[in-house]
Amino acid sequence: MLRLTVSRALNGAKSSPTCLSVASRYQSDQKKPDKIEVFIDDKPVLVEPGTTVLQAAAMVGVEIPRFCYHERLAVAGNCRMCLVEVEKSPKPVAACAMPVMKGWRVKTDSEMTRKAREGIMEFLLVNHPLDCPICDQGGECDLQDQSMAFGSDRSRFTDIDFSGKRAVEDKDIGPLVKTIMTRCIHCTRCIRFASEVAGINDLGTTGRGNDMQVGTYIEKLFMSELSGNIIDLCPVGALTSKPYSFTARPWEIRKVDSIDVLDAVGSNIIVSTRTGEVMRIVPRVNEEINEEWLADKSRFAYDGLKRQRLVTPMLRDNNGDLNPVDWEAALITVAKVVKHAGNSIGAIAGGFADAEALIALKDLLNRLGSEHLCTERTFPLDGSGTDLRSSYLLNNKIAAVEEADLVLLVGTNPRFEAPLLNARLRKAWVHNETDVALIGPQVDLTYHYEHLGDDPNVLRKINEGDHEFADKLKRAKKPLIIIGAELLERKDGGALLSTVQNLSTKLNSNEDWKVLNVLHKVASQVAALDIGYNPGIDKIKSADLKVLYLLGADGDHINKEDLPKDCFVIYQGHHGDRGAAIADAVLPGAAYTEKQATYVNTEGRAQQTLVAVSPPGRAREDWKIIRALSEIVGAKLPYDNLNQIRDRLDEIAPHLTRYGNAESANYFKQAAELSKKTESAIDCKPIDVKIKELQDYYMTDSISRASPTMAKCVQAVLKQKQSACN
Amino acid sequence: MASALGRITNLSKTQVGQFIPVLCNTQIAFYSAPPPGTPPPQTKTTFGPLADQDRVFTNLYGRHDWRLKGALKRGDWYKTKEILLKGADWIINEVKVSGLRGRGGAGFPSGMKWSFMNKPGDGRPKYLVVNADEGEPGTCKDREIMRHDPHKLVEGCLIAGKAMGAKAAYIYIRGEFYNEASNMQVAIAEAYQAGFLGKNACGSGYDFDVFMHRGAGAYICGEETALIESLEGKQGKPRLKPPFPADVGLFGCPTTVTNVETVAVSPAICRRGGTWFASFGRTRNSGTKLFNISGHVNRPCTVEEEMSIPLKELIERHAGGVTGGWDNLLAIIPGGSSTPLIPKKACEEAIMDFDGLVAVQTSLGTAAIIVMDRSTDIVKAIARLIMFYKHESCGQCTPCREGVNWMNKMMYRFVDGNAKPEEIDMLWEISKQIEGHSICALGDGAAWPVQGLIRHFRPELEGRMKKFQQAQN
Amino acid sequence: MTSQAVRKTLKEVKPILSLNRDEARRRVLNLYKTWYRQLPYIVQTYDIPVSVDKCKKKLREEFTKYSESNDIRLVDMLVIKGQMELKEVVNVWKQKGHIMAYFKDTVEPKPKDFLSKFLNGKD
Repeated sequence: MLRLTVSRALNGAKSSPTCLSVASRYQSDQKKPDKIEVFIDDKPVLVEPGTTVLQAAAMVGVEIPRFCYHERLAVAGNCRMCLVEVEKSPKPVAACAMPVMKGWRVKTDSEMTRKAREGIMEFLLVNHPLDCPICDQGGECDLQDQSMAFGSDRSRFTDIDFSGKRAVEDKDIGPLVKTIMTRCIHCTRCIRFASEVAGINDLGTTGRGNDMQVGTYIEKLFMSELSGNIIDLCPVGALTSKPYSFTARPWEIRKVDSIDVLDAVGSNIIVSTRTGEVMRIVPRVNEEINEEWLADKSRFAYDGLKRQRLVTPMLRDNNGDLNPVDWEAALITVAKVVKHAGNSIGAIAGGFADAEALIALKDLLNRLGSEHLCTERTFPLDGSGTDLRSSYLLNNKIAAVEEADLVLLVGTNPRFEAPLLNARLRKAWVHNETDVALIGPQVDLTYHYEHLGDDPNVLRKINEGDHEFADKLKRAKKPLIIIGAELLERKDGGALLSTVQNLSTKLNSNEDWKVLNVLHKVASQVAALDIGYNPGIDKIKSADLKVLYLLGADGDHINKEDLPKDCFVIYQGHHGDRGAAIADAVLPGAAYTEKQATYVNTEGRAQQTLVAVSPPGRAREDWKIIRALSEIVGAKLPYDNLNQIRDRLDEIAPHLTRYGNAESANYFKQAAELSKKTESAIDCKPIDVKIKELQDYYMTDSISRASPTMAKCVQAVLKQKQSACN
Repeated sequence: MASALGRITNLSKTQVGQFIPVLCNTQIAFYSAPPPGTPPPQTKTTFGPLADQDRVFTNLYGRHDWRLKGALKRGDWYKTKEILLKGADWIINEVKVSGLRGRGGAGFPSGMKWSFMNKPGDGRPKYLVVNADEGEPGTCKDREIMRHDPHKLVEGCLIAGKAMGAKAAYIYIRGEFYNEASNMQVAIAEAYQAGFLGKNACGSGYDFDVFMHRGAGAYICGEETALIESLEGKQGKPRLKPPFPADVGLFGCPTTVTNVETVAVSPAICRRGGTWFASFGRTRNSGTKLFNISGHVNRPCTVEEEMSIPLKELIERHAGGVTGGWDNLLAIIPGGSSTPLIPKKACEEAIMDFDGLVAVQTSLGTAAIIVMDRSTDIVKAIARLIMFYKHESCGQCTPCREGVNWMNKMMYRFVDGNAKPEEIDMLWEISKQIEGHSICALGDGAAWPVQGLIRHFRPELEGRMKKFQQAQN
Repeated sequence: MTSQAVRKTLKEVKPILSLNRDEARRRVLNLYKTWYRQLPYIVQTYDIPVSVDKCKKKLREEFTKYSESNDIRLVDMLVIKGQMELKEVVNVWKQKGHIMAYFKDTVEPKPKDFLSKFLNGKD
């Protein structure tokens, strides 16, 4: 619906006029007409033609109140709160939708404007319940704030004594979003978000006039991996967070800026805490990564941080049970074993490992004479392997995806591996006419794409120019190839990577545009590879190890059978999950909300989490555990505090401590050249991805597996899929 | 509602004047230097009755055959080819000269509106959309045309379409008009068979299609942008303007939405000349017009009359007078339900044209005259109208969704008198808060009847409240 | 020149209480004596689990802490503080805990090295 063929002819002018301003942003580079001058409250401002009154006002720092307008959504213009007076216009105009004309004099604080706002405010409050004291939005409610600022100081709603207010039945749209529809002011932000950003046309309005209702037409689950964002978008308390309901008030929570680690995107988040507990997680604006959205798993899996936690060190006794011990005993036992093992010790880093812990563990094992340091996730080592960063990064950066005109996805399902990257892709597809093609299993990406089959040899054919898609790629001005990390875990991963590397060097015409992009699935991978871990655990399996150190490795990649019988397994991590189950000694670590730690996202952007709450029980920050162990083992690591260990990080890879920066990688040609030495060939096994459907998305790691909310989501999706009205 | 909603009145006329020129890039200011199409200065002083030979709609009462054969007899489709061959500029000029103003309620000059479409194209097709969603209470002029003279409309579509270079015309007809729709469909089919439509229409070398689309019974779909949305298959909810339909309309293409009557009179204007049409009525209000007279009159009727005919004469001559005599008159709603009512005193000298009714604080609208005699419970009548608007509000924008519902609640309390006199002022203010603040003109249309009532019948309202108070004590 | 100026200012420093070392010494001894005589009553009123002998030892300890102080002004200041302290004790403006705070037997020193900090869970 959003992408009509006519709209192509129109060059962005959508059939719905409301999209005009959104679309016009993308036309700006085609021709640059002269700026026009307008006056906001007599302050002159020069703006591009097509700028709305509201945007022009924002330029001079005048904020116009609004409910339905949202800069990332199409303009609806239906709340009418933004009405302002324009000189010589007999009636006020909607600032959010009206483009300014030359010489207009906008009065944002005139009598007419104030009257209009007061009138709209009164109308909105006529049917809005006065239940602010029990409303979860209270304190961060647009309606509350704006009624204080722009509303009348007294009520004249005499009809409350006769007919009362409208009441609307609540709707059940799933375990994440709670609806109190009586509070709805029909701004349709949620509907627009669903259809434009999330690409799910589940939400809409039914009925008309005063009986209009926002809902899902029939009672059903709002089946989106981005559903939580409608909670943030809702200007009132109609859509609130179900897990957060009635738990805290915005004025009594502490907010800590942090980074999400449940996927490799590294979304910026705010962790809200109270009484030493994570109350909720909301997104933080970062235009380069997540804009202001957040995926559901990142937003709602926080209750997993309170369950299944490892709170004390444990040692396995002769009966095979894990018994709690104190740190001293645990460290001494572990140190004894480690000392005894000499250099036949290995380590596997899991998906949540931070850079500080990774470097500490690497330094320790190196001091002990071992080089068996691996990550859970495999990456092909043929050619240049992981020596050149360009081979394993999302080189072109997430934000630049919007500029691409042709995107080829290989062996990935970005919708569930990196929902926010998928949202970007969809944005590009809607507004920038980007075409998308996919090699891999046919999945629902919320937008149309050309499916090139799941045969990996298609890739070879494209590289050899033997496929019709090769021409398209060649013609594209800004092509993009995104490979899923899962694809490269195949046996013929090396051959596939080398094919794509060669293909992308052929397509690379512009220095600043990078065709080759790898999308990782876990937050730790890039940092681990940067630091020098070996991808994949084959080396561990083949080496005859006496001690294996699992740093949060819960990915079910290794089990007891893979190891020699007398191998002593140490597990360090925060959840009693798969890793802890096979461990002989358990050292409780901190989760990402409990430590100041560095993570590098799939673009190669280093970011740090901050301490929101303290680790539960006797759990400690991860690098400190390793540092303490090193001292007892007798290979003391030379850092005692965070600054010192960060200096060490800086020594190895300076970009790891340049927070917020995405360090670009180079040497594409050299990598491609080296990759030509790859001997293995692409085999015929069809490309597959692990997460195909929504129900697979929610529980993928130790935190989300421990989360009851995520479990409820899986149940709800499965139930919805069985129901007749799906 | 026959785009009575489009009645953006004088308000948006100026507004349209402000925005459209810039949006269309090429437009020049309209009011400063009237170009060729200027109606002749006024010389007449008395208006009406209309002579039979000057009637455009000669089968208004269905006494003759409505099909192609009958239509041809009445002169439809006569030398249509020649008209088409004279070209778009000629047609537009004739319409401009005729002084024809939109018959849907807003009264926007048709020649000018059609000429907006004639700027250089950008490859998109253009469309003519005929608004046959006549749903305004009291209005029943378009249906008479469609069931008894459908060929007038079909021919009008062709000529108007040619004038604006449209590729096709869509007739959006009200869902309840079953017979009208079927007659229209037959007429369109006949025109196709006779070669008047389709490829090389009338042999003029011009390709033109006419499609008919039946609505689903929503008053709001008579608002032009809501109508376009509905035609596109979406919920009939008005769009924001700008962009105006002349820029981005049906399926994202330039579109003109016009009323049935406007389109149906255009062949007659082209055939008999713009000056002929302009000779009726006062300047800027010229032409003939279909008037619907309903309510408390002896013979309710739809009649074609000259513009600017005095209201009293119109009722006396064609509707057999008010029941119980002129003195029994209480009030008249002169232009369909959304126009403010006028009391008997104003009716005496009201002149039925755009400017004449503005002078008495109401408007011509669709020229649907609703007469109410002294037996009417005027408060209840207006309350019932507000209930209609409450029911038909689309619910998209706040003032209309919340405000009209609130007005409705208050009006029904006023019917009983269950309110305080201060609330009359409050109701007035609420109606002012709705008016001009909503996306489309339905909000305005709902506010005006209330304003009319308060303006002219305040003592009546206060009296009821007093009575109710006394009954309570 | 400078040294002269310094000497001059030194000379002109305003005394707090005592004009010379002897006077200061007398004041210290007086304070010590008063404290010493008060000790049994302190033990009694505050009902602290410390013997008078131990208290005397503590008193001596507290005074000898500053035995190196030579500056008359500093000594005077310490005497004033000591008098204030004494007044608070005698008037029972203090509580038991405050008195016991002189005997900090329960307080453990803060861990300094990384490992003990780690084991104690302190940063």
